[in-house]
Amino acid sequence: MTRRWIILISAAFAFAAFACGGGDSSEDEVYRVGVLESLTGLGETYGTVANNSKQMAADEINEAGGIDGKRLELVVEDSKCNAQDAITAYNKLTDVENLKIILGPSCSAALLGVAPIAQQDGNILFSGLAVHPDISQAGDYIFRNAINGEKNGTGLGNLLWDDGIKTVASLSESTDYAEGARLTTAEQFQKRGGQVVAEERYPSDTTDFRASLTKLINAAPDAIFVASQAEFSGGTAIKQLRELGYEGPIYGEIVSVGWTALEIAGDAATGVKAVVAVLEPGNAKGQDVISKFKERYDYITLAWYVASTYDDIYITAECLKQTGDDQDADGFKDCLNNITWSGAIGDNYSFDEQGDVTDVAPFIVEVLPTDERTADNQGYRVLAPAKSE
Amino acid sequence: MNGNATTASPSLFERGMLMLREKGDLELYANVFVIGWAVIFTLWQGVGFAVTLGTVFCIWAILSVSLNLVVGYTGLLSVGHIGFFGIGAYGMAILTSDTSYELLRTESIPQFGLPFFAALPICVLAAGVAAVVVGVVFNRFRDDIYVLVSFGFAIIAFNVFLSWRALTRGAYGIPDVQRPQIGSWVADGEIEFLALCVVFLLIVVGISWFLVSSSFGRVLKAIREDEQVAQVFGYQTTYYKLAIWVISAMMAGLAGGLLGSFTTFVDPNSFILLESMLLVSIVILGGLASIRGSLLGALAFVLLEEGMRFITYLPSEFIGQVRQVVLGVMLVLLMLFRPQGLAGRYKL
Repeated sequence: MTRRWIILISAAFAFAAFACGGGDSSEDEVYRVGVLESLTGLGETYGTVANNSKQMAADEINEAGGIDGKRLELVVEDSKCNAQDAITAYNKLTDVENLKIILGPSCSAALLGVAPIAQQDGNILFSGLAVHPDISQAGDYIFRNAINGEKNGTGLGNLLWDDGIKTVASLSESTDYAEGARLTTAEQFQKRGGQVVAEERYPSDTTDFRASLTKLINAAPDAIFVASQAEFSGGTAIKQLRELGYEGPIYGEIVSVGWTALEIAGDAATGVKAVVAVLEPGNAKGQDVISKFKERYDYITLAWYVASTYDDIYITAECLKQTGDDQDADGFKDCLNNITWSGAIGDNYSFDEQGDVTDVAPFIVEVLPTDERTADNQGYRVLAPAKSE
Repeated sequence: MNGNATTASPSLFERGMLMLREKGDLELYANVFVIGWAVIFTLWQGVGFAVTLGTVFCIWAILSVSLNLVVGYTGLLSVGHIGFFGIGAYGMAILTSDTSYELLRTESIPQFGLPFFAALPICVLAAGVAAVVVGVVFNRFRDDIYVLVSFGFAIIAFNVFLSWRALTRGAYGIPDVQRPQIGSWVADGEIEFLALCVVFLLIVVGISWFLVSSSFGRVLKAIREDEQVAQVFGYQTTYYKLAIWVISAMMAGLAGGLLGSFTTFVDPNSFILLESMLLVSIVILGGLASIRGSLLGALAFVLLEEGMRFITYLPSEFIGQVRQVVLGVMLVLLMLFRPQGLAGRYKL
């Protein structure tokens, strides 16, 4: 009996192989590009938002007649937010699907794992979310229209000092993004003359921050800065900070003032200031994209990244229009190097020699009281552009 | 005569079984069939992808074989093996990383600039040394408590990778880990790296086979069956357990070193507890106390997981999540019908 099961299992494997089939053959009437997102794993929230936004944009393009009559087909793969899985997913996209242009990954760790291979292969990686400062050095085939985390950190460091803060304590999640935010903020703050009096870090599965927060409060800083990778932890930390009786100013970054984080923190988040990539209220295109996303998927979070990944697809469509060939990675690279784009995240932005988006600046925002928070204002009001120097 | 005439003739399936039995070991045929299918399937998808999968398989197979020595042959259920895997990977990354840190914005770590082949033995030794330290403590525990302390080790290892920023760069991870190089020859091609991994896998399998076939292996099995009885026969079981623990950890360190060089980027997320649980699953899936089972388990797992990428007609919005559900269901089914694993002889 057991041997029969071995045969049956083997047969099931074989059947699965042939049922799944090989890669699609290339079609003349289709432009095919890869989408490499963290659909599962630690970055599932961001990856799903990015994937959904890209699908929405691609559907729009196809419904409007495609790119010079050719359909845009997205071949989606899961990077699982880590280097090893990102490499196998990348190899599937390039070797099996024969793709040369890949949009993503959203996670910095996955991107940094894949980047050397893509660079060696001469294939494009174009991310709308990865903000790790070191991605700037990843190679000339690597592009992103996510704002380099260093810009946000510099802006926040300046904001702290300009608000009259002389000493700060920080709580950061132990992830590349949150650590980058903490590092660049602290560096700029110290450069201006400020002092970091206490630093605490927490692993991603933490739910009770009271011990760390108590240590920060006991250091008697002028302000506390929270940098989180997950909205849940950012919102919870801010809530617990107020529950512990801390009444001083709190500063954050884009995740800790995200919509879900604000829902968790409730009134405790009122008055929190942050430097974030924000869709300007006057940017009709950005607001339109958010409305369409909300209508299609019935939720909205990380609005700016919905817009940046949406723009990825339209920029890709434009570059495919120029090159006329989804196998021409070098042509695509030249297109990105020379393009000036007006889209959902802003007008007239382009990419610098390191592949980073330029002419898109983060803003200073302040969280509104709970009764004034709406999906349209994302829970905060925009105060001014952040200082980037 | 009449009696024979009334006996129902065997079905086609049973006749097939009968024929195969006459020819030899049916399990062997099944194994060859699965492996053959794996090669055809992956090659069919493209040589580059097949080579990548082959490399991932080799790394996980080394890990799986090494853990089976502890879990399957000795009966010590460890869920902390991922820690040694991480030590190997970080060892390779720290010793060979060739990043221009002055160009990076994030913090720098000491650079040693060792070549791959000099760093790899150090990775193996580092995992071994860590295993001695941990093993001396672990030997005081048995059964359920052993699982719990190994669980604790996995958590500690992850947090060391995450928090010892002066050595590991913490959450930033370590980029530009070097590929193997001999003189001017660099194994930067995927096929060369696969060949190297295959060689190391064969070495690990050879050592493991030798160990479990020797008198040393028989003592390990005796410990698994009843440690007290083994002690009554005069065996210092503590030393045997420590020895296999250290050997196993060194093999895991080897696999980690290969992973670090393969991905060229190492960060703590590759060594979370979930990965440890997956590794234990692979060992059980393949079969406890079976080296061949460990190889089959790793092969089946890599193919199942990567095979999910080829399921078509899934809505792109849910493609990642659906694949994980399908993978989970397949693993549950396999365990339901083969609780002793694909080629195992024992249940947990």
